[in-house]
Amino acid sequence: MATTTAIDAKLKEALPVYEKLKNEWGRKPPNVGKTDELLNALKNLFAEGGFYPSDSSEDTRGLHVARDTLEIAAQCAIQKGDIPAFERALAQLKPFYFDLENRIPESPYRYLLLGLNLLCLLSQNRLADFHTELELLSPKIIQTNPYIKHPVSLEQYLMEGSYNKVFLAKGNVPSPLFTFFMDILLNTIRDEIAHCMEKSYRQVSLNEAARILYLNNPEELAEIAKKHGWKLESDQSFRFADNQIKHENERVPADEIATQMIQYAREMEIII
Amino acid sequence: MVELHEIEMKEVDAPSGSNTANAPTTSKDEKKDANTLTLDDIKEQVRTIEKAVNSKEPRFILRVLRALATTRKRLNEDVVRRLVCFYYGSNTSEREILLGFIQPVSQSMDVDTGKTNTPVTTNEKQLVSRPQTSRARAVALPEVDLYIHLIVLLHLIDRNSLKSALDCAKRLVDKTSVLNRRTLDLLAAKCYFYYARIFELNNMLDTIRPFLHSRLRTATLRNDFEGTAVLINLLLRNYLHYNLYSQAQKLVLKSVFPDHASNNEWARYLYYLGRIRAMQLEYTKAHQNLLTAIRKAPQQTAVGFRQNAHKFLITVELLLGDIPDKATFKNPQLKRSLDPYYQLTLAVRAGDLSRFKEVLDAFSDRFQQEKTWSLIIRLRHNVIKAGIKMISLSYTKISFSDVAQKLQLDSPEDAEYIVAKAIRDGVIEASINHEQGYVQSRDIVDVYTTREPMNAFHQRIEFCLKVHNESVKAMRYPPKKYQEELETAQERREREQEELEYAKEMADDEDDF
Repeated sequence: MATTTAIDAKLKEALPVYEKLKNEWGRKPPNVGKTDELLNALKNLFAEGGFYPSDSSEDTRGLHVARDTLEIAAQCAIQKGDIPAFERALAQLKPFYFDLENRIPESPYRYLLLGLNLLCLLSQNRLADFHTELELLSPKIIQTNPYIKHPVSLEQYLMEGSYNKVFLAKGNVPSPLFTFFMDILLNTIRDEIAHCMEKSYRQVSLNEAARILYLNNPEELAEIAKKHGWKLESDQSFRFADNQIKHENERVPADEIATQMIQYAREMEIII
Repeated sequence: MVELHEIEMKEVDAPSGSNTANAPTTSKDEKKDANTLTLDDIKEQVRTIEKAVNSKEPRFILRVLRALATTRKRLNEDVVRRLVCFYYGSNTSEREILLGFIQPVSQSMDVDTGKTNTPVTTNEKQLVSRPQTSRARAVALPEVDLYIHLIVLLHLIDRNSLKSALDCAKRLVDKTSVLNRRTLDLLAAKCYFYYARIFELNNMLDTIRPFLHSRLRTATLRNDFEGTAVLINLLLRNYLHYNLYSQAQKLVLKSVFPDHASNNEWARYLYYLGRIRAMQLEYTKAHQNLLTAIRKAPQQTAVGFRQNAHKFLITVELLLGDIPDKATFKNPQLKRSLDPYYQLTLAVRAGDLSRFKEVLDAFSDRFQQEKTWSLIIRLRHNVIKAGIKMISLSYTKISFSDVAQKLQLDSPEDAEYIVAKAIRDGVIEASINHEQGYVQSRDIVDVYTTREPMNAFHQRIEFCLKVHNESVKAMRYPPKKYQEELETAQERREREQEELEYAKEMADDEDDF
């Protein structure tokens, strides 16, 4: 645990770098490379200076600086498209948001970043983690805060299957940072829609297929068709008739039934 | 003053065997009799504890603890004070501390809280100067000390004096940490439970987490199965109270719940496990866990626990797509608490989105309080699926705009996507005709030609066999001494043989006549 004088010294070193970082990030568009360098420098200083949360440190300025830096790090990671870096930054931010709620004033970016985290989990289809994260927020926040409401409603649309709403939601994201994850999500959804199409439609024409999948150019459609093994018929349509009927009834799976019967016989033997 | 006279007189009279204790008024007399009865019961329990320690049989302590619930109801200040005076006669400092936790009824005894030594009245001195050897021996046993301290603690909780209960609990738990005796395990487990409970009532649960963890380590090292079970449950309760599901999950993964723990602890553990799994979308496992938890819980008492477990069970069943049995709602013990869930079930079964929304809005506070809210908002798509199922059963062909209207969806496009997903999930059997915008149901396949019935039977058979095995395992518990008293199978056969011969003889004798 660093003493106050040590913290002061590190703070003095860190503050100017921090100011520079804020200036860099504030410029539009921010220079990602430069921001990265400054971030790394700051992180080293933090590790030495003990700015991370500990039980008895009274000095909240260090905590403040650390938290703001981590927030900028997270946003920068999204700009770069680096998902693991984003997840790391968020993991470091969580103790700041949840455990230290009473010691430092609330950050304006808090819900933005939490919403981004939720969206990230959703786009990777990690639904269990998504719900675990959601539990940590109070129901009021979930219903009112726009940053959180967005991923929550997206999850609902996905569960119901109204994919068109998802595509519509892309238009009204609460912040431009969300678009990165939205793109990943939409690609995943296209796969889902393709699966649904196979099971439910008898046949669908080429143009219609493109419209359902929300694709604008035919090459992407061809790609998806190849991935799923669809054949293009003569009248420019796909046919899915063959996976409709199940032929299971014709064969009796001898293995399974035999195993089950032997299990029953064994249990009966034990009883008697 | 008067009370102490009473105690003294009773002590004097008891050896002589005469019953001359006369209270001044008759109503006080009855009250005192009830208290005396309670006091006698507790003394009996203390003797049982001594026996348990001497014979190293945990059964006796179990019996005492089981009676704790009834004893607790009969406690009042008078009883507790007399108990403390009786047992701690020789040990003044401890007694003062314990008495300090109890609020005085009569104004004559003015004991302050805390550890200051108040001036002792003359009668008390007289009581103190009666060193009966049995009492001294009783207090020397730490188990008895713990037990009486626990009773004082329960009394404080029941009277809602939370601050003093907090101090009392801290002292109690410090006592348990000092010793390492197997006989203390069961009592210590109870102490941990009430310690955590008091912190929960005081809203300070997060402070005791490190403490619980360190005790868990010690308990596991010492193979103290009851203590381990209780501590794991307390930690899980702690995490779930603050919604820290990921930590709870990790605890479950890393720790092994002891097999021999009592059924109550198993019921609690399965209940918490079910809640964690339900939150993480593993509904089948959650369902099994909650069902077993309800089965392991006592059938007549523990109404609150069963109510909560049923609430979660119903929610999980709805999430699985099954409709819970109506009989559960009719059970008189559960009826009132399960009422909002009943309305929810009706809305889901009807597939009616607006009704679902109404129920949700009406009872949202209650659901939030019972922690089922986050699970219930996931039910929205279940409502839609139920609606789609009903529509596909009733219509052969139906256009999407009609579907959208019936399900109260936003647009026919929506309906199309939702139906496509439903078909893929296997909810309905149908096919979509995109150009003309309608969905057509397939012909109903005869279920008996598929393997569905066999799978259903297989599941049920497996369940019955599992229950049977578990009950057989649970039957193996009578300790060896008890078995020696019983006849073995051999002896029984011999005895039956003898009886048969005897009966035959008698029959022959009769024939002779």
